[in-house]
Amino acid sequence: MEKRLIKKDALAGIAKKMAEKLHVWAPVKKEDNVLFAPLKKDDEPFFAYLNSQNAPKNVFFPHTETMMKYTRTPKGMVFSSEENKADEAVLFGVRPCDAHSFVLLDKLFDQEKYKDGYYISKRQNTTVISLACVKPPYISCFCTSVDGEPVSSDGADILLTDIGSDCLVEFITPKGELLAPYFGDTKADAAADAKKNEIAAKAKEAIKSKIPAHEIKPILDKNFDNPFWNTIHGKCLACGTCTFLCPTCHCFDISDEVKGSDGVRIRSWDSCMFPLFTKETSGHNPRSSQKERWRQRTMHKFKYYVDMFNAIACVGCGRCVRSCPVNIDIRKIVEDISKL
Amino acid sequence: MQNPYIPYPVVVDKIITEVDTKDIKTFRFKFVNPEDEQKYAYIPGQFGELSIYGKGESPIGIASSPTQKGYVEFTVQKAGVVTTALHEMEEGAVMGIRGPLGNSWPLDFLAGKNIVIVGGGFAFTTLRSLINYMIFEDNRKRFGNITIIYGARTPGLLLYKDELAEWGKRTDLNLNVTVDKGDADWKGREGFVPTVCKEVAPGKENAVAVICGPPIMIRFTLPVFFDLGFSKENILTSLEMRMKCGIGKCGRCNVGSKYVCKDGPVFSLAELDKLTPEY
Repeated sequence: MEKRLIKKDALAGIAKKMAEKLHVWAPVKKEDNVLFAPLKKDDEPFFAYLNSQNAPKNVFFPHTETMMKYTRTPKGMVFSSEENKADEAVLFGVRPCDAHSFVLLDKLFDQEKYKDGYYISKRQNTTVISLACVKPPYISCFCTSVDGEPVSSDGADILLTDIGSDCLVEFITPKGELLAPYFGDTKADAAADAKKNEIAAKAKEAIKSKIPAHEIKPILDKNFDNPFWNTIHGKCLACGTCTFLCPTCHCFDISDEVKGSDGVRIRSWDSCMFPLFTKETSGHNPRSSQKERWRQRTMHKFKYYVDMFNAIACVGCGRCVRSCPVNIDIRKIVEDISKL
Repeated sequence: MQNPYIPYPVVVDKIITEVDTKDIKTFRFKFVNPEDEQKYAYIPGQFGELSIYGKGESPIGIASSPTQKGYVEFTVQKAGVVTTALHEMEEGAVMGIRGPLGNSWPLDFLAGKNIVIVGGGFAFTTLRSLINYMIFEDNRKRFGNITIIYGARTPGLLLYKDELAEWGKRTDLNLNVTVDKGDADWKGREGFVPTVCKEVAPGKENAVAVICGPPIMIRFTLPVFFDLGFSKENILTSLEMRMKCGIGKCGRCNVGSKYVCKDGPVFSLAELDKLTPEY
């Protein structure tokens, strides 16, 4: 598909221009963090960022979301489902690891038998524009160990790569091409392509943190009861930060909220790190301690998801590594498992 | 496309208090929109999410058989927030049900075989669905001998007492009801389920055992069937886990790589052996 060149400093202007017509999510500075937020009139998108504090999964799978509404009437409860209609939107400037997470989440929410309309409608109506990492943002990045690359169009409709003075714009899908009019009319030449390939190779080389993520599946298959599982959770606070920041964690709770005669059923992010997650009414809890919960989290990412969808449920963004308050490092866990 | 998270509205048509402790009731629901009954076409062994607006949802096995037209039944113990609210409901109230969810008793696999049904206490509900399905008119000849062993702690805790009396009169099934301890009026059998199984269970030839009950009953019943030579492929059970979505997405009811809600709740012992023992 077509490729174009734009000036590097044109990105913010393009995002703002799009925001006049479309619902645009872009990285914006919020206090000390950079977060993806709907771009409002006076917001300035911030593309010189490393990665957003939170994964942008909330664009398709919001933190809390109304599933249905109901009203008490003299004839009893009347309910209506929330319509699965999403506005045309653009997710502008996500990092390739996060775009990769959308491909993984699609496997879960968009299955043949049970389709999750809330997720799918937003996903289908959103154009994803990835912003390549020409330099690895953090030393804790490890995308190349989990099927990713710092310069990758996986999960993206458009890929932007800083190739020096200019930014190369690659339209990856027909959906991405629909936004071509926003990106000027300078066609990219072969030299730009060559430059990008060179930058991509260097960026890949620069990811120094490597883990044997693909090697541990057969080990996990055989080591559910290994005493190793006693060694991870001791210092875990069960705060759930790792799961909330994770681009691929998708567990949720469904709950009802009522005010007067009106009520809603909502879903909210939940976490396998919480004791109540699996606790049954009888008091029985199949994952009775933090040990079982850590085994679940590790197994889910590196074994169960592979069994179910033939893909590792980790994109190597390193958020859980950087934000864990007690320094539990998934990279070390994987490393240790590889030696069992 | 049907949104799998949205319940079908139903009216509580009939409430039957099943046990003398009054904490287990059977709820018969009729669909508010008659066309929804078609959409709720189910197979014995499946479950539904009972949905009470303002309280939430609870996953419960379907107790009626698809051969019973015009309604669907669930037998529910009063335990948590949702089931307590349900027990406080009156006939005529409107609520919701989702589903049918999960796999089912494997009817094609069971066809042509001798079936041994073993149930303990309150875990008899989807077995009742299977029994009523198998003994329904033309269905009966698709299955071989049917042996039922059903036990409860006391006579007052037996579910479906009228139906048990009806089944007891039939000549095309072998019903064995037992209680741990009888009372003054009890004329039936006394004894634990595993002991009764030892007495009445048929041989392994062309036979499948379908077992649901409390863990303690299952633990002592399985060796009886192993001794009779039943293979793990021919012993079936149904699992329970905490659930929310019921469609394999919310992430809490997995046992290893299988979601109990979507890939279960029915598993053979052979299948369970391949899973991690985390349930």
